[in-house]
Amino acid sequence: MNNQQPSGTFCRRVRREFLWQSGAGFGAVALSSLLGKDFFQNANAASTNDAAAALKQPHFAPKAKSVIFLFMYGGPSHIDTFDYKPNMVGMDGKSIAVKTFGRGGHRNEGRIVEPRWKFKQYGQCGKWVSELFPNLAERVDDIAFLHSMTADSPIHGSAMLMMNSGKILSGSPALGSWVNYGLGSVNENLPGFVVMLDPTGGPISGAKNWSAGYMPATYQGTVLRSKGTPLLDLSTPDGVTRSAQREMLDSLASMNARHAGDRPGHSDLNSRIASYELAFRMQEHAPEAVDLSGEDTNTLEMYGVGNPKTDDFGRRCMIARRLVERGVRCIQLYSGGAHNDDNWDAHGDLEVNHNKHAGATDKPIAALLQDLKQRGLLDSTLVVWGGEFGRQPTAEYAKGSGRDHNSYGFTMWMAGGGIKGGVSVGTTDELGAAAVERPLHVKNLHATILNQLGLDPNRLSYFYSGLDQKLVGVEHIEPITEII
Amino acid sequence: MRPEVPFTLLLVSLAMVCIPSSHAEEIDFASQIQPILAKRCYACHGPDDQQGGLRFDQRDSLIVEADSGQVAISPGKPDHSEMLKRISSTDDSIRMPPEGKPLSTSDVAALTAWIENGANYTKHWAFQPIARPTPPTIEHSASAQQPLDLFVLQKLEKAKLAWVGEANAATLVRRAYLDVTGLPPSPEELSDWTSRWTASTYEQMIDQLLSNPSFGDRWARMWLDVVRYAESNSFERDNPKPNAWRYRDYVIRAFNSDKPYNQFIREQIAGDELDEVTPETLIATGYYRLGLWDDEPADPLQARFDEYDDIVTTTSQAMLALTVNCARCHDHKIDPISQRDYYAMVALVRDVTSYADRSDQTSNNQLDIDAEAGKAHEEVDAKLKSLQKKLRKMEQEAIVKMPAPDQRATEGENREKVLREKLREFMDESSWHEYSEMKSEQKQALATKKSLPERFAALGLAKVDTKPPTTYVLLRGSPHNEGPQVDPAFPGLLGGGSPQLKAPAEEAKSAGRRRALGEWIASDENWLTARVIVNRIWLHYFGRGIVRSPNNFGLMGDQPTHPELLDFLATELIQSGWSLKHIHRQILLSSTYRRSSANNEQSAAVDPNNNLFWRQNLKRLSAEQVRDGVLHTSGELNLEQFGNPIYPTLSAEVLASQSQPGRNWEKSTPAEQARRSVYIHVKRSLPVPMLSVFDFPETDTSCEARFLTVQPGQALTLLNSQWMQEQADHLLQRVEREVGKDLRKQATRCLELVSSQSANSADVEELVSLVDRLKTKQSMPEPLARRNMALVALNLNQFIYID
Repeated sequence: MNNQQPSGTFCRRVRREFLWQSGAGFGAVALSSLLGKDFFQNANAASTNDAAAALKQPHFAPKAKSVIFLFMYGGPSHIDTFDYKPNMVGMDGKSIAVKTFGRGGHRNEGRIVEPRWKFKQYGQCGKWVSELFPNLAERVDDIAFLHSMTADSPIHGSAMLMMNSGKILSGSPALGSWVNYGLGSVNENLPGFVVMLDPTGGPISGAKNWSAGYMPATYQGTVLRSKGTPLLDLSTPDGVTRSAQREMLDSLASMNARHAGDRPGHSDLNSRIASYELAFRMQEHAPEAVDLSGEDTNTLEMYGVGNPKTDDFGRRCMIARRLVERGVRCIQLYSGGAHNDDNWDAHGDLEVNHNKHAGATDKPIAALLQDLKQRGLLDSTLVVWGGEFGRQPTAEYAKGSGRDHNSYGFTMWMAGGGIKGGVSVGTTDELGAAAVERPLHVKNLHATILNQLGLDPNRLSYFYSGLDQKLVGVEHIEPITEII
Repeated sequence: MRPEVPFTLLLVSLAMVCIPSSHAEEIDFASQIQPILAKRCYACHGPDDQQGGLRFDQRDSLIVEADSGQVAISPGKPDHSEMLKRISSTDDSIRMPPEGKPLSTSDVAALTAWIENGANYTKHWAFQPIARPTPPTIEHSASAQQPLDLFVLQKLEKAKLAWVGEANAATLVRRAYLDVTGLPPSPEELSDWTSRWTASTYEQMIDQLLSNPSFGDRWARMWLDVVRYAESNSFERDNPKPNAWRYRDYVIRAFNSDKPYNQFIREQIAGDELDEVTPETLIATGYYRLGLWDDEPADPLQARFDEYDDIVTTTSQAMLALTVNCARCHDHKIDPISQRDYYAMVALVRDVTSYADRSDQTSNNQLDIDAEAGKAHEEVDAKLKSLQKKLRKMEQEAIVKMPAPDQRATEGENREKVLREKLREFMDESSWHEYSEMKSEQKQALATKKSLPERFAALGLAKVDTKPPTTYVLLRGSPHNEGPQVDPAFPGLLGGGSPQLKAPAEEAKSAGRRRALGEWIASDENWLTARVIVNRIWLHYFGRGIVRSPNNFGLMGDQPTHPELLDFLATELIQSGWSLKHIHRQILLSSTYRRSSANNEQSAAVDPNNNLFWRQNLKRLSAEQVRDGVLHTSGELNLEQFGNPIYPTLSAEVLASQSQPGRNWEKSTPAEQARRSVYIHVKRSLPVPMLSVFDFPETDTSCEARFLTVQPGQALTLLNSQWMQEQADHLLQRVEREVGKDLRKQATRCLELVSSQSANSADVEELVSLVDRLKTKQSMPEPLARRNMALVALNLNQFIYID
């Protein structure tokens, strides 16, 4: 979108963000991106129509149209899942000199907790995967593993913000906001950035994790529920049927049209009239998007719907696929919520914690990849898996298997959306304490996501506070070329 | 103030008339040339690097022989300017810049014209002193009500455009009420004014509105947006900031009492250092405590400098419209702000302590407003603490002599009982005497404490560092990489200068630097302060500022559409003794403000963005105006001011986004919940949907101007939310109280209340028909059908927009 540089601008500054102050108002622009061309051709608003088209123009041909971010909140242990450390076997309980930094501060030595699960090789690529993910392991040939991830903070609050918005301070737009800002939405009946929370609650910092920051609220994440009313205030109040609401909207539209008719040349008034029709259509389409009654039993079974252990995450993965089918740009699913062992934050008993969370997600995630593939959607859907950091190779307390946070090295993976399968990038040391070969930063991950969506991470910018703000920051950041 | 209008100011104003005109050959250095140089030349020939001995951010090296023996720019002689040869060359080996696409033909043409005209490096409009412009003499001055109108008319005349007519009386009343107080007039108030509408009525109304306490409730929000006001810390725990609301009340009171703006600034920057420190000025220092605070930072030193950055960024943008923050890691690429300038400003606020420490979250930020009471409390507390220590020591000496079961018991809740019964037994006579005396002393001290006036605290600078550490330039912004030392100083581009700082006296409570900073910002001589605040006021009356980027008056910001008007208002402010209400009044009484918002196709074709103010802009209500307006219309609004924040009831699904649903979201009574939106608790991680859906800003950084989006979420909120059903119900009850049960009368009254004006008969019929259709076609019970009639009225564009 910022590839066309109108004369008189510089540093890739685009003044679209100032439109709210101009005659047209921002509303018309934002809404036109939702409504598409037809509405505005009817409404004779050619200028805002142009803006809408520009909003949808990627920088180059995209590989992916949507991204599903499976957020393993709390931080899964990489050496117990995908980062195979055979040399640690037999070292359990040994004290060893190793630099760590987590909730408990900086330490120089610790007691090794050897990986608690056995590893096996899978797929053509022969990837070693632990017993925690027997189903997902069958999909390794579709997956690119990033073993040398690093982040700027090993503390949940700032690390969550970093993974979601690229900054350790709050106030910046989330990845999903950037994607929708860059590409616009293709489905006017659903929000473009959807967040689905764990039944135990939101992650810490709540809505900060899907905030649009300094961008307009149009780009912020919308919480979608898999049960009950999917969106806030979506259902009509008690006693008001859909057809009754239609009557109300007809009256409203006719009175608003009379009002607008007396005030020609104010496109915002027409935009607001249209926004009610859009809301009315959302009330039909959003519930349909989360309604799984039309899915066949085999598919439901594949996702683990119906099995108490996997039902919730299975439903949400299935809804994620349905949202992708309906053109939603960015969908974020949280595995884990609230505090302590309600999420992957295994400070106490590692085995209890990870068996629970891997058990709830392994089958649904494998099914999601398989389902997207069999429907021909995996090529255009980028799936990202990981937490805000990984976990340390050593024990946190004198007794027990709990591990503290680790942002010096951890694993994430990506699949689909033009990502090469069956590859692994980077390594950590032999304990998994820190990235050694090809260290990758969260910014590289973000750059890769934007790149696959057809957006140049070093060009996608938003002018705020005197600077061209970017998801990846001011310095040039390369996508992870080995996997694209 | 200097009397003459600087030449450059005129040049800027000519260049800014956005009409296809014959002024195309006029080249404005700041807006047309400098951006090209900055973008394409500075990287190798700029502040950081001067290859070939050339730097394009200054003129000197360009007009003399460079290392190559050539002259880059020969003023007035494009043909003799090596720069033009190099940028337009088709030979890749000599063309500049060596990387990227060649300069566009229009850029080359602009540079050529600029060199032809003398290659002048004119100063940016904002980076020079404010001069008092004389209101221009113009042909059609009769329609001007205020001197400021002449500046607007002058530009309109040049563009051969005319104002649309004045808005009618009803429109003006509703507009002024909403703009000044944030609340619509009641239909009765409106008709009372319009029924006796004469030339002086409008002025009377404006004076009445400006003295209405609701003025502060509305306009405080403008400032709270700018200073990123919030009442919690963000991050994992997002804990509340105790007593933050006192700062909010301070702002409301300051605006209502028309506290001089320069004093308002001084109090916030250095309320603890003024000659006269009062509870009010101490509360004002809450300004420093409103930002983010990470109680568990991964890099504590970095977090410390993030706090300074937050203060420098907010202060420079909010009060000076400068993006000094851009120079944290390197010299500003566009504005003449160096990294030294940035750290010199950090040095000025270096005595500000961190918000808190994880183990002590109040000492740095909670201060006693009543110093005497606070001191008395502190004294008693110190005494109690020392007594307690001594008593405990004596007790322990006795306890170790007791039998084991008793010893064990003293470790738990039965300690007092054991001591009462056994202590004397295990103490000798003189110890017992000493112990008893101390006990009675303790009793006395406790009684004294009880008798003291309540100790009440405010958020603010409770502790400052009287001897701040030396400040260094931090290379690439990293506190782990110190560069040269810097002393406190003001930004060089504004005349700069170092503050007159005396070494603080031995007993001083602060370093005295912030006082110097406050005096400098609030000075009549500051080039930006007055311009910045009058622009903010203008923004809220017209939907956009005279400068469209209110936090950025630098080169990356927008140029003022009416630079002389801006300077006129700025000097008015200073001459009035910094009375903000004086500026409000001038704007409100102007003909420019009173224009109709009606369209004019010819004018719209020439100036579609209304750059010239040929009409008033149609404005959507702000988030607060929507919510407060609904309460006002339904008759439920509670106008009580000040005090602890209120907590609207949030639905379970909204609270479910928290990791501990409901944490730190208290319960308010229905009457409290009906108070104005400015009193709603601002919790950073829990936006209130009713406000955020209507573009209430993110509170982590300064918000210069809100977005005004139109989106389906707003429709869903206004149609389906529980709160709106309740308000529709209240509205229906209200109209029934006022006009009885007759449907047509009720419909009429609903429409009057949402628009403040008499109802359109076609609209009345539409609502009557709606109730009928809901009953007959939808089998809806009559009461519900009528409630929905009221709900539809609250969704009308005539309610949501200001003409």
